[in-house]
Amino acid sequence: MIKQMPAKTSPSRIPPNSLLFEKIIPALLIMLGLVTLGLILFAAGVLLGIIQF
Amino acid sequence: MSINQILPFLSTAIMLGFTIYVFQRFFVRRNPAFLYWGIGLAMFCAGSFAEAYLSLAWNKSVFFIWYLFGAALNAAWLGHGTLNLLVKKSWVHVVTVALVAGSLFATYLMLQAMPKLDTAVFTTDKPVSEQYGTKALEAGQAAPAGAQTMTTTYRGREVTAVRGLLPLGTPVRLTTPFFNIYGLFTLVGGAIWSAYLFWRKRVMPNRVIANVLIAAGALSIGFASTLTRLGYGQYLYLGELISAILMFVGFLYAAKPQTDEELIQKRVPASAD
Repeated sequence: MIKQMPAKTSPSRIPPNSLLFEKIIPALLIMLGLVTLGLILFAAGVLLGIIQF
Repeated sequence: MSINQILPFLSTAIMLGFTIYVFQRFFVRRNPAFLYWGIGLAMFCAGSFAEAYLSLAWNKSVFFIWYLFGAALNAAWLGHGTLNLLVKKSWVHVVTVALVAGSLFATYLMLQAMPKLDTAVFTTDKPVSEQYGTKALEAGQAAPAGAQTMTTTYRGREVTAVRGLLPLGTPVRLTTPFFNIYGLFTLVGGAIWSAYLFWRKRVMPNRVIANVLIAAGALSIGFASTLTRLGYGQYLYLGELISAILMFVGFLYAAKPQTDEELIQKRVPASAD
């Protein structure tokens, strides 16, 4: 009987079932993207004189 | 010395180490992205040092360096390095020409503004970023506590303005948002996009984390600057320090060698290497 060895994860691959990469990183990316978009719109508003800053 | 006078010197020291590290990588790998990042970081470093100096004493040349490199140009050059990794080289060359021309034009406008500086308003009691701009008040709008005001003619009408170092309507101030929007879009947007690409391909976890750190670092300085303009200038130097640390750690983490990394790099070209 061949004993099944656990699959070895390469350090260059995102580990499966990782809380960090499955939940935290996607949430952070979405949050950072929204903040960036907000800041760009804010800066554009200041530039166009719509927002007094 | 107060903590707010020590923090900018600490940020400068970190940025100096970061700048040397990035230029070293440019001389080894000859990748233009490192050159643009190096230029942006050198500007950030100069701006940070100028800010630290201006928290202790006034100097006209140091203010020139602070505004031009620290407030206007550095984000755009940093972002340009990231753009170099994400779009076709022919586009990068066009934008490089525009960025160099824009930077020279901003330098010219800054030189024009220098003889007109209202240096009498300068104080070491608050960050220079809180006192560089003259701001016209709307009718009925009260001036902030302790602010020096004046009455002047602006765009054909008489206005009350909070005095600042650069006079009202100084043309160089109009160029700053263009550089900063470009810098924010390319540096932060580029880092988020790179992180997403690696995450989607399920490869190079170090670069996913590194790009998140770079994006968060670049955003923290944007936040600190915004808070300063809203009257919370005490957080500016802390924001700069956090930004310097996060971005440096991000770059170091991205450069960390990983097994079979070269093979994967051929499949996913975009990264904040």
